[in-house]
Amino acid sequence: MATANPFSDPLRFERRVPECAIVIFGANGDLTKRKLLPALYRLAHDRRLPESFAIVGNSRTAMTDEAFRERMCDSVKQFSEDTEFDPALWDRFSRNIHYVAGDMNDPALYTALAAKAEATGQKNMLFYLSTQPSYYGTVVDGLGQAGLNRCEGGWRRIIVEKPFGHDLSSAHALNQHLQQVFPERETYRIDHYLGKETVQNIFGFRFGNGIFEPLWNRRYISQIQITAAESIGVEGRGAYYQEAGALRDMIQNHLLQVMATIAMEPSAVFESDAVRDERAKLLRSIRIMKPEDVPRYSVAGQYKGFREEEGVNPQAQTDTYAAATFYVDNWRWAGVPFFIRSGKKLPKRVTDIAIQFKAAPLALFGEGSGEPNTRPNLLILRIQPEEGISLRFLSKEPGEGMRLRPVSMDFNYGTSFGERSPSAYETLLMDAMQGDATLYTRQDMVEASWKVIQPILEDWGNRKFTFPNYEPGSWGPAEADAMLGRLGLKWRNS
Amino acid sequence: MSTTAIRPESILRDLQKQWEDLASQEIHSPTESAGVLRACAMTLVVACRTPEEALDARQVAGQVMRVHPSRAIIVHPGSGDFDARVFAECWKPFGRRQQICSEGIEIIAGQGGFAEVARFLVPLRVPDLPVVLWCRGSSVSETGGFHHLYPLADKIIFDTHDVSDSDAALRSLRRLHAYGMRVADLHWTRLSGWREVLAHLFDSNINAKEIRSARITYGGDSVTTCARYFEAWIRSSLPQARVALEPEYASRGIYSVTFDTPKGDVTIQHVGEHTLSVTGRGLEYRTGLPSINEAALMQEELSILGADGVYERVLNA
Repeated sequence: MATANPFSDPLRFERRVPECAIVIFGANGDLTKRKLLPALYRLAHDRRLPESFAIVGNSRTAMTDEAFRERMCDSVKQFSEDTEFDPALWDRFSRNIHYVAGDMNDPALYTALAAKAEATGQKNMLFYLSTQPSYYGTVVDGLGQAGLNRCEGGWRRIIVEKPFGHDLSSAHALNQHLQQVFPERETYRIDHYLGKETVQNIFGFRFGNGIFEPLWNRRYISQIQITAAESIGVEGRGAYYQEAGALRDMIQNHLLQVMATIAMEPSAVFESDAVRDERAKLLRSIRIMKPEDVPRYSVAGQYKGFREEEGVNPQAQTDTYAAATFYVDNWRWAGVPFFIRSGKKLPKRVTDIAIQFKAAPLALFGEGSGEPNTRPNLLILRIQPEEGISLRFLSKEPGEGMRLRPVSMDFNYGTSFGERSPSAYETLLMDAMQGDATLYTRQDMVEASWKVIQPILEDWGNRKFTFPNYEPGSWGPAEADAMLGRLGLKWRNS
Repeated sequence: MSTTAIRPESILRDLQKQWEDLASQEIHSPTESAGVLRACAMTLVVACRTPEEALDARQVAGQVMRVHPSRAIIVHPGSGDFDARVFAECWKPFGRRQQICSEGIEIIAGQGGFAEVARFLVPLRVPDLPVVLWCRGSSVSETGGFHHLYPLADKIIFDTHDVSDSDAALRSLRRLHAYGMRVADLHWTRLSGWREVLAHLFDSNINAKEIRSARITYGGDSVTTCARYFEAWIRSSLPQARVALEPEYASRGIYSVTFDTPKGDVTIQHVGEHTLSVTGRGLEYRTGLPSINEAALMQEELSILGADGVYERVLNA
């Protein structure tokens, strides 16, 4: 075990990446261009990367190191949203960017990668699977056969992008496949939602403050709504999206993880496995729908025009909108509905969590005003855009009488902290290179969330929906309103 | 604002009016308006010795407020009566249309001096948020009246860069700390870059338990607080090692540190204004130090509002 460094000063020293290399499979793809390279460049900009840090990209396209660097340079210029491009920094950073062309099915690729890795002089290596999921097994086997999955005196880790399978059994099979080559502790399943500052702040908000946690239970909370709405459609990703759908693409991973973070018990310590144990426990506590309950507790939707998108089957049964009601069967949450929805072509881009508290038990004010004289307090955790937290409560209107009006108390991330927030990928890459898996999903978490979704997938797979069933720019199908309406509730559509 | 009529409530009214004016300007802006956001996370009181120093301090505070939005209160002595005026510091974050503003108050202490100012600073603090006092230019042991402001603050920041008697300055800081005040010294903050390079060596290359002795050299005519801090930091981190602090013919500041280990010496040495070299035990590389200005030092200090265990350990070592 390594000895603790007596010179460490975590309050002042930036976390630094240890000497290592990152090998990116699918380096010519969108994710590398839009997210990974800009995130790594930003870490270099913040002096978090050691001088010797190396990047090795792989894809099938034949390219020289120099050509690959030029492409990556363009990506950094185009997609580094809040960082100005520094040519001198790029010059230093790009010296250690390399490229190996090759087919992932070809064992020679892994030999070439091993040689390139050797040339970088790095023992520690992080493999990033930014490929189509169908290649995960192939790459993992290739790495194992070339002996790249282990190293005396160093570490070898692997990051896997979602989707982690397309249902429970494929997720289980993928996990088993991964574990034959990489131990679970070196396997990092990335869910970029968990790397967002505002999602991480849920921990801070819940467990760093004394006032909310006593109210955080069935006695005071009546319902929780989690919304991830996009105003855009599939934007040229029709072929991929029609196989995935909103339930698989958003709810199974991102939104159930967010729900787990909102509803989990506090862990004894803020350490990777302790936090993940609590998240996993919560996911296992979500009530699994019986087949006969699925139509009542879930809604599929498809926007008008989806079937005309490029690459989309004109008869596609894909859900571009999905909503579900979940219950958590534990003492804290028994009876509290969690409504989760996600969709494309909705009125605006917003991801938030609305926690609705029970109304005051007695209505003292507002008799005869025509206005409801009690309204539940609402706590809104805004994940994007305009990250922040709002609390809605009633306040007396100025003037005569006791007329109450809802007002909002707002905390805005950008204005309370002048500092720039790191992107989710910066945080998550940094964590993986430092061996901190707190914000990554674990095998049992992935399988637990598939278990929750599986009855819905099976039911939807056997039904023929009358699609399209919602207009672009609306808040989704009428059935979604009816799902809440049966409980006397409404979606929060503001 | 009239000097004899200076009242905290009228300053607060002026601040409110300033926000209304800012919002109104933004609404009537010819380009599309995205509004003004009011940002505040603390009260930063900057005590200065002269009006010139205050002018300089306001510029530094302006840069600091972008990272640590605050109500800045800049206080300096003047020859006449009390006076106060409000100001705003506004900026647009890179790539965003919305303007963010923080507010400030400049107070000219009249003949009543800082003792009088301390009284009406109480209602001018932003309620329930931390108050940080930056004693700009104070030598710690000769406070020039700044000490009247100490009880208002959750944290007091000094800079011992220019002190001639480092032992006296450190004694004063220890005394304040012993009285329960949370103190900081920008001359310690200046060492962060150096310390980070050193600490990084011990992350993977050297086991701290191997170190038998450390030799620190410093430049300048006398031992600075910076050298004292550095020595105390190493001594308290390596209790088993002998630590020596020796002068060197070099410019002021830490010049080098050499660790003696059974596998050979490792040396970190200044080789340029912003460059350190690391040599020994198979290591040979150069690394840059970030360029430091007062605003960067303040930004680092303001990000630590709770206990700073390492500094407190070093101060009392």
